[in-house]
Amino acid sequence: MLTASKEIFAKYQDEALLARIREYPDVSAMWAACVRDYADLPAVVFDGETHTYADLDRDAAAFRTVLKNAGLTAGDRVCLLAPNSYLFVKAYLAAVTMGVTAAILPAQLDERSVFGCTMMFGAKAVVCHPDLEAKLSICKAKNVKTLSAADTAEEGTPAAEGLGEDFPCVIMFTGGTTGKSKGALLSHGAVMQGTVNGCYGYSEVFNQRYMLLLPLSHVFGLIRNLMTSLYTGSALFICRNNKDMFRDIAVFRPTILVIVPALAEMALNLSRQFGRNMLGPDLKYIICGAAAVAPYLVKEYLKMGIGLCPGYGLTESANLVSGNPDFANRPDSVGLMYPNQEYKIVDGELWLKGKNMMLGYVGDPAENAAAYEDGWFRTGDLVRFDEDGFLYITGRIKEVIILSNGENVSPAEVEARFNELPIVQDSQVFEDVDESGRHILALEVVPRMTELKKIDTPDPIAYLTAQLEAVNAGLPGYWQVNRITVRDSDFARTPSMKIVRYKKC
Amino acid sequence: MLTREDIIRKLKDILISADARNAAALQACTEDSKILTDLGLTSVGMLYMVIAIEETFNIRFDNVGMNDFVTLRDVVDYVENKLK
Repeated sequence: MLTASKEIFAKYQDEALLARIREYPDVSAMWAACVRDYADLPAVVFDGETHTYADLDRDAAAFRTVLKNAGLTAGDRVCLLAPNSYLFVKAYLAAVTMGVTAAILPAQLDERSVFGCTMMFGAKAVVCHPDLEAKLSICKAKNVKTLSAADTAEEGTPAAEGLGEDFPCVIMFTGGTTGKSKGALLSHGAVMQGTVNGCYGYSEVFNQRYMLLLPLSHVFGLIRNLMTSLYTGSALFICRNNKDMFRDIAVFRPTILVIVPALAEMALNLSRQFGRNMLGPDLKYIICGAAAVAPYLVKEYLKMGIGLCPGYGLTESANLVSGNPDFANRPDSVGLMYPNQEYKIVDGELWLKGKNMMLGYVGDPAENAAAYEDGWFRTGDLVRFDEDGFLYITGRIKEVIILSNGENVSPAEVEARFNELPIVQDSQVFEDVDESGRHILALEVVPRMTELKKIDTPDPIAYLTAQLEAVNAGLPGYWQVNRITVRDSDFARTPSMKIVRYKKC
Repeated sequence: MLTREDIIRKLKDILISADARNAAALQACTEDSKILTDLGLTSVGMLYMVIAIEETFNIRFDNVGMNDFVTLRDVVDYVENKLK
């Protein structure tokens, strides 16, 4: 077993800067220090309004009163359903600093899923952004307590003190090991470790300008982007609509962007097409993760004087466990392990332990049993280290497909939607590389001929394809496949008749 | 005033720039090409297209979703309407 230490980063950061990176046991303790040190600095900029650390502290304290008046106390859970916004930040911070666990629901969930999550997570209430009110219809019909994130109170309620690192903090959605969507419960200690990890390896860390483009329902958005920004006394510009990101960048001039590789590539291509640096004159670092980063991206950004730093992490590890120091020039590595991380390699697979690791999947003992071995979390990623301690991902042994935009796709969940058609016998969703070298999500289907023959159509295969396309169009964007093939024979099967899954990437 | 052909030509340039590895297929696309299944555009590819269209044609998209555009014809129609 190995444990990473802070010293390894001394090569990349000066002593005074390293000394400023302090650890706090819980978010309440961190936030108290932030308000003390940065009260009058801008914390969040959203919809043309700037909210200082003192403003956010006052608004969060008032929202703690709202939560308290609704009967919530430390140890309870609430679901938080909100798009990226100031109201999200306020409600999240209020809940976790009073010891209420925030189950953060992706904003695109439908009303059935919102109600399902509320039941699954045992939430006492749902805190909802006014824009998403319509998604509460089932919760309201079933008498689930609902609160508006826009609510406030005259008097503030103080934050809880002494929660400690083991106290539950957030529940985050993940595809996990087998792909079925579930909630990973992260402690305050885990969230804090993930937050502090965002400070290692760069020559400029504090008082930066961050921009939020990733959803706060993803650990990369919540922890590396929002939490590290707050921890470092930085200003966070929340982009309302990503299509306006470059207009926003021109005005806000961020110094750090936390994005997925597909967005980094998009920004590069747009800069080329329009002959100017679309990322603004002040950008120093792009923190890139949630999917594999193509080394050429690192090299291209270096030419523009921007350090693109790939990192590696999981929802279950409260975001990044490793990251590249700025300009370390190892474009194909995911960097050095962050301090305190316990790790070992078993048969090539990376196993993790430490306070950053989740407390477990909520209410899913079978998934928990499958995820751990002897107290170690099995990442499912095959890795190697070089002689300087840099980590490289060499393969993956899990079924989950990770798209270049960072979305985790569980093939089984997507297949289930196509399999609902009676004319479909079986299906397989997989990642493939097309003739031009692009990674695409592909679907192959075995028709159920007995049903298909009943359909009065001159071209049954064209009919089936049209039906599949209709299902595809109704799926969430990141589930939609780019190629549909109807097979004329069954898939290869294992002795237990399971489909032999393609491994094309 | 841009003709429909002008719009398609510029749209092709945008798509090829968004996904250079797929240039051959994109060059051959028609108004009937389906954005998702024929051209294989991902959600980020779609975002690229929207941003580049706004920049190129100096227009602003309203709040549109990925599923509002099925074929390239839908996109060309939208741009043409905005330019009127």
